[in-house]
Amino acid sequence: MADELVRMERINKFFGRVQALNDVTLSVRKNEIIGLLGDNGAGKSTLIKILSGALRPDSGEIYIHGAKVKMRNTSDAIARGIETIYQDSALVTQLSVARNLFLGREPVKGPRVFDRLDQQAMNEAARQLLKQVGITKDIPSTTPISALSGGERQAVAIARAMHFESELIILDEPTNNLGVEETQGVLRFVRNARDSGHSCIFIAHNIYHVFQVVNRIVIMRRGKKVADDIDPKQTTIEAVERIITGMALAPL
Amino acid sequence: MEDSRVTGQVSLDSPSLRHQMRLARLLRSVVSAPEFGPFVLLVIEIVVFTLRSPVFLSASNISNVLAFTPELGMISLGMTLLMTAGEFDLSVGSVFGFAPIIMWTVYNTHTASLETGFVIAMVLSALIGFINGWMVTRLKIPSFLVTLGMLLVVRGIALYITDGFPQRTWSANSALTNVIVGEFSLGGLRIHASVLWFVLFTVILGYVLTESKAGNWIQAAGGNADAARARGVRVAQTKILLFILTAVISAYAGVTSSIRVSAANPNSGTSYELEVIAMVVIGGTALTGGRGTIIGTVIGVLILRMMRNGIVLVGVPGLAYNIFIGAIILGMMALHSWLERRHRAGT
Repeated sequence: MADELVRMERINKFFGRVQALNDVTLSVRKNEIIGLLGDNGAGKSTLIKILSGALRPDSGEIYIHGAKVKMRNTSDAIARGIETIYQDSALVTQLSVARNLFLGREPVKGPRVFDRLDQQAMNEAARQLLKQVGITKDIPSTTPISALSGGERQAVAIARAMHFESELIILDEPTNNLGVEETQGVLRFVRNARDSGHSCIFIAHNIYHVFQVVNRIVIMRRGKKVADDIDPKQTTIEAVERIITGMALAPL
Repeated sequence: MEDSRVTGQVSLDSPSLRHQMRLARLLRSVVSAPEFGPFVLLVIEIVVFTLRSPVFLSASNISNVLAFTPELGMISLGMTLLMTAGEFDLSVGSVFGFAPIIMWTVYNTHTASLETGFVIAMVLSALIGFINGWMVTRLKIPSFLVTLGMLLVVRGIALYITDGFPQRTWSANSALTNVIVGEFSLGGLRIHASVLWFVLFTVILGYVLTESKAGNWIQAAGGNADAARARGVRVAQTKILLFILTAVISAYAGVTSSIRVSAANPNSGTSYELEVIAMVVIGGTALTGGRGTIIGTVIGVLILRMMRNGIVLVGVPGLAYNIFIGAIILGMMALHSWLERRHRAGT
């Protein structure tokens, strides 16, 4: 496929004698939002950790834009355009919004020896970005993350992924512990991300949230992929639930 | 922030009101700064000592305070960066005693020139810092245990080399000793060159912490090391460099002290580590990492050094010194934690 962004091919992963992933193949196209569903212990998180470089598969390959890649750690994945946003998004709460956005890739001005942060540029870019991801409240770029709400933190993490041109943004339970309005915010960011040319993998326990934003639903059960091409517009939440719990066979 | 909106547009246009509001906001940000509490304490301390003792603000006493303040001050600067990165170093006092022993032993035994001895002492201290950092980051042993072990090893080496006897340092009057701690007078004050070095280090390290890219990495490493690592921040490397910096600056402070007091005692610097950590946390740097302030540390250094000096002048028995230091630490910690909680709740 020409527009295939990422392809995970026949991934296996064991934890001791427990097989967490059994020959799982998953592909993500450009501008596609995938909902990855499954019960606890289905292997969703393991699969995502492998894709984000946090875990290494025992066998299987990962292709990005058709080229085989090896990911040794999370920075490898980020460098290849795969950004993962966890529920308690990986931000440094003591640092400001702007300093978090540019952490590890800080713009520097002046002679190299002085190693001087371009704080003006950082703050300005942060202000623009927050507006882009839909935070309408006036949050100064110098606010420490610790002063933000859960939804606002997710927004900062998503803004960071968008700013650094991540092609694939993985959201692992991004709406857990969020209020109603904040959840709506996160779902809106996901739609925005697609509109601005990013792909997403969206993992959530709450199927209702998934149905609202995704193009395609993938279901895992006991380490295997049991459904791959469910169109949320053509099916019902009940049908999906039955597949997740194993009460119905997937229409593969 | 919000209250600037509440006021009507008419009043917003009035320049005096806008000026007042900006002043109020400035005032609020000053009061909520972590350095504010320690600063108030320092002012109170100076006022009380000045009222109680006529000599406290005399030129000779200020010269006295300025003579010994830079030495612990320098160590505190290094410790501030290290603690901001989430680690600390208990071996600083031992290195403080060890480095001058190496330098003067090399010189007194006619092994090499004083300058060479100085370089050797600095390189060995950097090596100590590197080993600390390497064990903490690669072997993942808590810095408390690593540097506690190093404290004993380094102190032991200094005692073993010297058989426990001080090294002579008065025989050398070279350009190097003058550069490090030479005396000059300034408007009635006797000033040591070490004060200038302390100011220079303060400016440089303050800049590094708040203005540089390295400073962002230091704060991130202490705040959330996993998150920082995931963003490509070289956390281990950052911490190792800070251990080296702390060791080298402690060694330099030790050399400074040995020249100033004309003796390199293998036992000097004993228990400095705790006093330095106290200075740093009193100034507002978080013991848990992620947040640090060089200005706060300088204030913390002044608070404790002036307390030591002033308490004797006002006639409190010197042995009671620790009571006051302990009380200040407890009071400041209570203040910082209260400010922190209020900060969290208030937003």
